[in-house]
Amino acid sequence: MDYPRAQTDELKPYCTKLSMFMEGGVPFFSLEGLRLPAGCEPQVCDALLCPVTRDNYPSRLYFSVKVKSLYDRNWNCENARIGEKNWFAFSWKVEGANLTLAQMLMAHLLGFTKEK
Amino acid sequence: MDNPDFTRPGAEAPGPAHGGPHTTTYHVHIDGHEVAVHEQHPTGEALLALIDRKPCAFELIAEFKHRENEVIEPHQTVDLADHNLKRFITAHKEIVTITIEGSPYTIERGKRTVAEILDKVGKTPDTYALLEEKDGPPLPLPANQPVDIQGCEVFHFQVQSGGSS
Repeated sequence: MDYPRAQTDELKPYCTKLSMFMEGGVPFFSLEGLRLPAGCEPQVCDALLCPVTRDNYPSRLYFSVKVKSLYDRNWNCENARIGEKNWFAFSWKVEGANLTLAQMLMAHLLGFTKEK
Repeated sequence: MDNPDFTRPGAEAPGPAHGGPHTTTYHVHIDGHEVAVHEQHPTGEALLALIDRKPCAFELIAEFKHRENEVIEPHQTVDLADHNLKRFITAHKEIVTITIEGSPYTIERGKRTVAEILDKVGKTPDTYALLEEKDGPPLPLPANQPVDIQGCEVFHFQVQSGGSS
């Protein structure tokens, strides 16, 4: 699955290393050292962005740890094994078919900064 | 005896190798820092930049020997050869400038709500998230936390496109 170069380039500033891989026919963007919004603990962690439908979510952002934030989140995905690592995700549905990858990432990170 | 804070023309700097006109270096005092300026008529913005300050947060004030202080606007030029010019000081503005999606907006310095900032562009937190570009790419700000505005902050907004499920 190809994504426009401009979109993948837009993701790069958010992390220290960006790569992409496929697993089970599903694309994942690996965002090493992803910066998290203010109020998160830790402030940086590794993440995986799955930009296509998975587990009944239109897209999903997985984290290497369960991030503490201003609001309690429903971490309904724990220790998902993807790319030989364990990942965590909270229940957060991002709608919008026309979002760029960076906009999609932001929409997921908004989950740390708003109540509902 | 000269006031050591006086702005004074300094030593003649060597001209370009091809023999162009010599330039004078002016030693200017800004907030107690002595900085070298290689032109006679710099702008207020250029002088602020010499001490890593920007007009979006600070104003530049020229002090003269025999007349009132004068606020130097960012694009206003100053004659450094003016013998009445003593020195410059800066002051943190009360009304500062921020940037939202590339456009400048003025706002009172201090703790501001996300709603106040989004209101500058006619948006509300119900529909839009505020993102701040600070030492890196834009990241979302919590809608219920005050934002410390000191001037020159760079913001973006994005449609609220996610929710808990």
